[in-house]
Amino acid sequence: MVERVIVIKNRTGLHTRPAATLVKTAAAFKSDFYILKDTFEINGKSIIGVMTLAADQGSTLRLKFIGPDEEQAAQAVTELFERGFDEQL
Amino acid sequence: MKIDRQKETRKKSITVGSLYEATNERFKLRTLNGERGFENLIKDKNLHRPGLALAGYVELFTFDRVQIIGNTEIKYLDSLKPDQRRVAFMSLLEFKMPCIILTNNNMLDQELLNTAAAKGIPMFGTPFETTKIAYFLADFLDDQFALQIVLHGSFVDVYGVGVLLAGRSGIGKSEIALDLVERGHRLVADDVVMATRKGEGIVMGSGTDLVKHFMEIRGLGLIDVRSVFGIRAIRFQKRVEVVVEFEDWNPTHDYTRTGLDEETVHILDVELPLVKLPIFPGKNVTVIAEVIALNYLLKHYGYDPAGEFSKRLQGVIGEKKEGQRVIDYFEHDFE
Repeated sequence: MVERVIVIKNRTGLHTRPAATLVKTAAAFKSDFYILKDTFEINGKSIIGVMTLAADQGSTLRLKFIGPDEEQAAQAVTELFERGFDEQL
Repeated sequence: MKIDRQKETRKKSITVGSLYEATNERFKLRTLNGERGFENLIKDKNLHRPGLALAGYVELFTFDRVQIIGNTEIKYLDSLKPDQRRVAFMSLLEFKMPCIILTNNNMLDQELLNTAAAKGIPMFGTPFETTKIAYFLADFLDDQFALQIVLHGSFVDVYGVGVLLAGRSGIGKSEIALDLVERGHRLVADDVVMATRKGEGIVMGSGTDLVKHFMEIRGLGLIDVRSVFGIRAIRFQKRVEVVVEFEDWNPTHDYTRTGLDEETVHILDVELPLVKLPIFPGKNVTVIAEVIALNYLLKHYGYDPAGEFSKRLQGVIGEKKEGQRVIDYFEHDFE
C-alpha cells in the first residue's frame, strides 16, 4: 500500500470536472484507490464517491493505493493534484 | 467480500445545542434557563436519573450522561425544606453534567434554575412522562452514536427487500441498479452507501445528502434517477437484507449449485446473507437479482427451496419403487 497526503490547490476545489479527470486517471491503473477526508473514505474510482467528498480548496486528503501498480498510480494521481488539475490556481 | 473494519466510524460526541435543535419539536422540549451551556458535549448514548446523587450518594454517579429528573426526584426534592433542597441540588451541580431534563411538566425553583445556568448546565422541560422521554431520547442518541461505514456499491429495494449490489469498480453495479429501477424497483443509493447500525442486528443503508439518487452510468455520465423515473423509483433509506457480490466468471471458483449452504458477510458486526454471482456477457443479472430477493422473502416466510428439494429427493430415494417411470401423468391427457 502506498499512502500520500495532499492539499487541494485549485480555487474551485474538487468540483465535477477535476473529479472526472481524477477518476479517469485512477481508472487507468489496476490498483484500488481510496480517498479519505476527515473520517469519510470513498472509492477514488467512483465519480459519485469523489464528488461526495465536496472537497474545497485547502482540504487535506489522504490517498491510498493498493495493488500491483500502486507506485505508478500514486505518482500519476499526486501529479494531477500538484498541477491543480491544470486549472487556475 | 472484504470489508475493512478500520473504516467503521462513530460520532464521538454531540453538543447539547444540536440535541435541542434536532428534537425540541418532537420531544416538546423547552429551555428553562436560557442557552448557557449549549456547547456542552454529550459523549454517552445512555441516560441517567440522578435520584441517588440528589440524596447524597455520588459514588459511581454517571454525571457525563444526559440527566433526567422525573416525578420521583421532584417528589423527593419537594419533601425537603428549602435550604436542604438547595444543598441537595447544589451538590448535583458540582458535577459537569451536559444537561438536565425535567419530565411531566415538573418545575424547580427559579433560583435553582438560575444557579444551574450560572454553572453552565442547561435545563429543559417536557410534558412527556419519564419512561416515554427516556425511550425517545435513547433511540435518538443510539442513532447519533451508531456505528457507520461507507460501502462502495449500489443499494436497491427489490420487492421490499434491501439488496446491496457489490463488486469491483466497472463490473456494472450501476447498470444493474438502473435496470432494476426500470423494472419498477426503488433505488436507495448508488456508488456511496452509508451503512448505519440500528440497535442490534439491523443495518440501515442510505445515500448521502449531496448525491442523493444521482448515478453514474459509464458512457452516459451523471443521471438523476428521481427526475428521470419519478418519485416511485427512489427511497431514502432501507434495511440492508441481502448482499449480492458480482464477480468476473472464474472457472476455478466453486460456485454454489444447490444453495444448501449459505454464505454470509459481516457488516458492522451484523451477519447478512451473501450471494456471489459470477457474471458474463449475455447473462440477465437483473432477473437473477429479482429472484434473489424473492428467494430471500420465501426463506423469510419459512420456505427453503434447496432444503425442500433435498427433502423431496430423500423421500423418493427412500421409497425404492420398482420400475418407476419418471413421470406418471400422461394417461388421458392428450392436450
